[in-house]
Amino acid sequence: MHILMMSLYATMTAVVLAAVETRSDNMRDRLIHGLKTFGWFMGVGLLLSWVFLPIPW
Amino acid sequence: MQSRDGLTDNITPHFSDRRVPLNVPHQASMPVRAVALLASWLVPGAGHLVLGRYGRALLFFVIIVGAFVFGISLHGRIFWPTVAEPPGMFHYDLITVLWFAAQIGSGLCYLVSFAFGFGTDPHPLPATSDYGNTFMLLAGLLNYLVIYDAFDIAAGRKR
Repeated sequence: MHILMMSLYATMTAVVLAAVETRSDNMRDRLIHGLKTFGWFMGVGLLLSWVFLPIPW
Repeated sequence: MQSRDGLTDNITPHFSDRRVPLNVPHQASMPVRAVALLASWLVPGAGHLVLGRYGRALLFFVIIVGAFVFGISLHGRIFWPTVAEPPGMFHYDLITVLWFAAQIGSGLCYLVSFAFGFGTDPHPLPATSDYGNTFMLLAGLLNYLVIYDAFDIAAGRKR
């Protein structure tokens, strides 16, 4: 459930951030930007969850 | 001195129609900017619709309204500023003020929910309500970005 919600959250955010991105005008660059944003969201989310795993609360 | 046509040829070599340089951002008039800004806040994507960016308008509408409705369906709740109990440094509870500031960004989504009582239960029981709150927060914050984007387009700073 957690990972599903996190993926959905990351997808929505990445799509909007890619669409409002100002540094490029072509679709390919926007797509790459969106994929990078999605990857960062997921990567940092998983890293933080791994770091917080031993904490009991 | 170069002729007008020669100069145009040099600075706009790849325009399909040299008389109408479509690649140059267009600056909208002040009333159009104001309408785009207000529309963008009220209905996510409507500002882009006013400015003729139909694809982006549809994308923003689907994602932002979708995030808000998904949040409501997960028993998320809408926040409004409440008085702090016990009284602290601020008169209002700071958390509710911040959540309200984020959620009100989704415009009519928030106002309609408030008016019809969706998500107004102050003590939602289901375990999914935290997810719901987060998606409703996301909808409001993303719409702030979309409003800013619409203003940038209207002001001629981007295409």
